[in-house]
Amino acid sequence: MRDFVFLEPRTMAEASGMLADHGDAARLLAGGTALVLLMRNRLASPSHVVYLGGVPDLDRIVIDDDGLRMGALATHAAIAAHPGIRARYPVIADTAGVVANPQIRNVATIGGNLCHGDPASDPPACLLALGARVRAVRGAAARDIALDDFFTDYYENALAPGEIVAEVFVPAPPPGARAAYTRFVTSAAESRPLVAVGVRLTLAGAACTEARIALGAVAPVPRRATRAETFLRGRTLTPDVVAEAASLAVADLDLVSDFRGSADYRRDVARVTVRRTLGRALGGAA
Amino acid sequence: MSLPRHRLTLRVNGEEQELLVESRRLLLDALRDDLGLTGTKRGCEEGVCGACTVLVDGRHVRSCLLLALQVRDRAVTTIEGLAGDGALHPIQAAFIRAGALQCGYCTPGFIMTTKALLDARAALTEAEVREALSGNICRCTGYAHIVEAILALTEDTKR
Repeated sequence: MRDFVFLEPRTMAEASGMLADHGDAARLLAGGTALVLLMRNRLASPSHVVYLGGVPDLDRIVIDDDGLRMGALATHAAIAAHPGIRARYPVIADTAGVVANPQIRNVATIGGNLCHGDPASDPPACLLALGARVRAVRGAAARDIALDDFFTDYYENALAPGEIVAEVFVPAPPPGARAAYTRFVTSAAESRPLVAVGVRLTLAGAACTEARIALGAVAPVPRRATRAETFLRGRTLTPDVVAEAASLAVADLDLVSDFRGSADYRRDVARVTVRRTLGRALGGAA
Repeated sequence: MSLPRHRLTLRVNGEEQELLVESRRLLLDALRDDLGLTGTKRGCEEGVCGACTVLVDGRHVRSCLLLALQVRDRAVTTIEGLAGDGALHPIQAAFIRAGALQCGYCTPGFIMTTKALLDARAALTEAEVREALSGNICRCTGYAHIVEAILALTEDTKR
């Protein structure tokens, strides 16, 4: 690993300033499980590393009537174990609890996970289905970016130079909403998903009033299955309707092909995983 | 280009340590090369095998993926910190009783993971133990006895 200047800001404004000063030569360090590995493999060789660990309260988790706010430095382990998240957003706790492995979950952060933008990961699809957004700050300025718009390509995001994700916000689910997340891994030894599916269904009686379906790990960025979502709206979710939605969800995907699986295999697995995840959200058997 | 080193204080196995480290110094190398604590093993060096597992403030982490500067002023526990004066730690004794090591290279990592696991929870099912060990690899594949050793400890705790 090439050596670098290690910067330890005490405030977000100071951190933004440091990033802005050094431009592309600077990288932000949160838990480090992704960045340190990139640097060791010389896939990243920043001249300056800005470490956020000294900024107070950046790992805070707050739940109120509006929704859930997870500080960017909240670790996956902290999210998985948080009593309020387990009670009110169990799908988020469950998803955080399967990321990578226990040692990584103790260090890796939700902000780092989203900003790193590795497609083969669990939280992005789950949070996208739940309508999450990130709060990006730069100095005194702040803006919210919906996850729909946040991921732009492999390992790329919509942050402007000097912007830092301070918090991930998940809006409180509407009445009648139910959510599920499913990862498909190719073997018990594999820690990254071949396919990741998050769904949130809102029901009024037997009818579906809103469906959000997000697919991760199948394309360079996590995507909503908008055709399937539109198809489900207003319908009663019978097994046939759910199966049709699953087919629509994978119909126009531009799938990646890699060592975990070919594009054709991914399409089949994604279709089945969407069907099962909708079933799980409805409370049926997986 | 030579960049300035950083003065780093941290607590390792209960003792204050002060080091002068490069920014790029990994916790693993600081422990092994600067402090001579070679019980922590260098395995895959890319966060996959768990041989380098140590505790930071009681939580188990991969020391090959942490910069030493990330643990400034924090408490690190390595395998050397477990045994008391001449007495093995109960986890070490349980691993020996169950024959839970073959070549032994992964053993410090497994024991540190077990320490974090049992500090957090006293009672565990076999499935929970196996899930908890998912971040540690034994290339001799001696998992059965490792799981047995840990389950024996949880039964001890329950009594």
